[in-house]
Amino acid sequence: MNAFTLYRRMAGASIKAQLRYPGTFALQLVGNFVTTLLSFFGIWSLFHRFGSIAGWDIGAVAVLYGLVNVSFSVAETLGRGFDVFGSEYVKTGSFDRLLLRPRSTLVLLLGHELRLRPIGRFLQGAFVLGAGFWLSPHVSWNTVWLLPWAVAGGAVMFLGILIGQAALCFITVEGLEVVNVLTYGGVEAGQYPITMFARWLRRFLTWALPLSAVCYYPALAMLNHPDPLGMPLWFGLLSPAMGFVFLALMMLWWRRGVAGYVSSGS
Amino acid sequence: MTIRPYVTSFVLQWKIGLRYRLAVLAGLVAQMWFGAISLMAYAAVYHHAPDVNAPMTLRQAMTYTWIQQSFFTLLPLGCLPAIGEAAKSGAIVYDLLRPVDLWNWWLSASLARLLGNAIPRAVLLAVVAGPLAALVGLNGWSLAPPASFEAALLALISFVLGAFISASIVMWWNIIAARTLSPLGTYAVGTPLAVLMSGMLLPLPLYPDWARELLLLQPFAGISDIPIRLYMGMPIPGGVVAALGIQCFWLLALTMIGRFWMNRTVSRMEVQGA
Repeated sequence: MNAFTLYRRMAGASIKAQLRYPGTFALQLVGNFVTTLLSFFGIWSLFHRFGSIAGWDIGAVAVLYGLVNVSFSVAETLGRGFDVFGSEYVKTGSFDRLLLRPRSTLVLLLGHELRLRPIGRFLQGAFVLGAGFWLSPHVSWNTVWLLPWAVAGGAVMFLGILIGQAALCFITVEGLEVVNVLTYGGVEAGQYPITMFARWLRRFLTWALPLSAVCYYPALAMLNHPDPLGMPLWFGLLSPAMGFVFLALMMLWWRRGVAGYVSSGS
Repeated sequence: MTIRPYVTSFVLQWKIGLRYRLAVLAGLVAQMWFGAISLMAYAAVYHHAPDVNAPMTLRQAMTYTWIQQSFFTLLPLGCLPAIGEAAKSGAIVYDLLRPVDLWNWWLSASLARLLGNAIPRAVLLAVVAGPLAALVGLNGWSLAPPASFEAALLALISFVLGAFISASIVMWWNIIAARTLSPLGTYAVGTPLAVLMSGMLLPLPLYPDWARELLLLQPFAGISDIPIRLYMGMPIPGGVVAALGIQCFWLLALTMIGRFWMNRTVSRMEVQGA
């Protein structure tokens, strides 16, 4: 059985398990959709009061908001195993069992759970994204291929954060909530046009954590909106690749962490 | 009726909250980060629309954001973890068998947990965002001191009321956890609800005008929004009396309905486990 077939079986089992409680599942889904949509109401209120968000129209802000939420929800769906890695694998010592299996630890952890709950965030993100395109006057034809490319780049970048967070547990044992600064904090920051932030934060969000490379610049290219800070528009066509580079770096770090792993269990 | 058991329950949870010093520091970093993002966003928005007559100044919005961030763990984000776990494992029967008033017993534990988490963080963040930020030259971005001595005094009373309101809402989450036999639902509903309605996501005065008065009248506004407005000396429709009145009303309503609901729940509860 190759890695892909194995993953498909684990994912199938996980989906079946979640659908065992259809009532809870439906409630969580609806709750997730409604509550995340309410958070867009906050941005909309700011827009409503000030007429624009720092000179950006509501369409552009909606596209940014939708893009970052859709990307994050995909990563949340796939990467649950990394999210709980510290408490459920390292602290308990059950990571030892994964190491005994003749498969990549990354595949096994991806198969920990294929989480369906983030579908709520995905749907509302897609909904706001659609509304954003509808409200924007100059949507480019490039969007057709650029949108999936940007979402893929964003999803693997967030997955990279989750893997990096899990690799950190090799040192800290217990998962550190501080990493939420990069996941939930990343979503929060990605909702706003990056020009609103101070220079140090803009640099961090482009070159250290390539958030703007998978959200802001592709969105500019899709909307034919020139960058106020002078980055050429074609940069947005290529920049989602930086999400993949980030993931590759995090996987390298993960490999180093596994090599130096010392079990905490007995 | 003696008060000692409730004090014990309070002290126990309070100590648990103070135990995790690293978590306090980690929380501080996260709060600073979220605070900084919101502040930069507000600053950009305000500077681009200088002629919009906003209900609060940029400086007030910043102070509001810092206080909200420092009291993040004071919000009723979900049930008390110990009670959620007990509901799941069936250990909740021990609580039911105690010869104490169950509401007060759980309430003192919930209040202690909120305060034990929130106070160390609030003090640290206030020092960093207040005097320290002013010292390094970020005066315009820092946490402003209270409007006056009276404002500070009123805000203190209001914060205490707010903490009790928050603990009462946690009690509602506790009851839901006991009914559904799982703490997860309360977190799924409680966290986003509290973050939105308390003004954590966006200061309540900045919402559209039609929503503002409604938002002031719901219980979550009493936790931190009303105290912060008093702290900054912002006008509140109806004045100080109305502000404290709303808080007292919700505290009473949440307690009375909650007690009634809890008694009904307990009388027909099925306990998990053998």
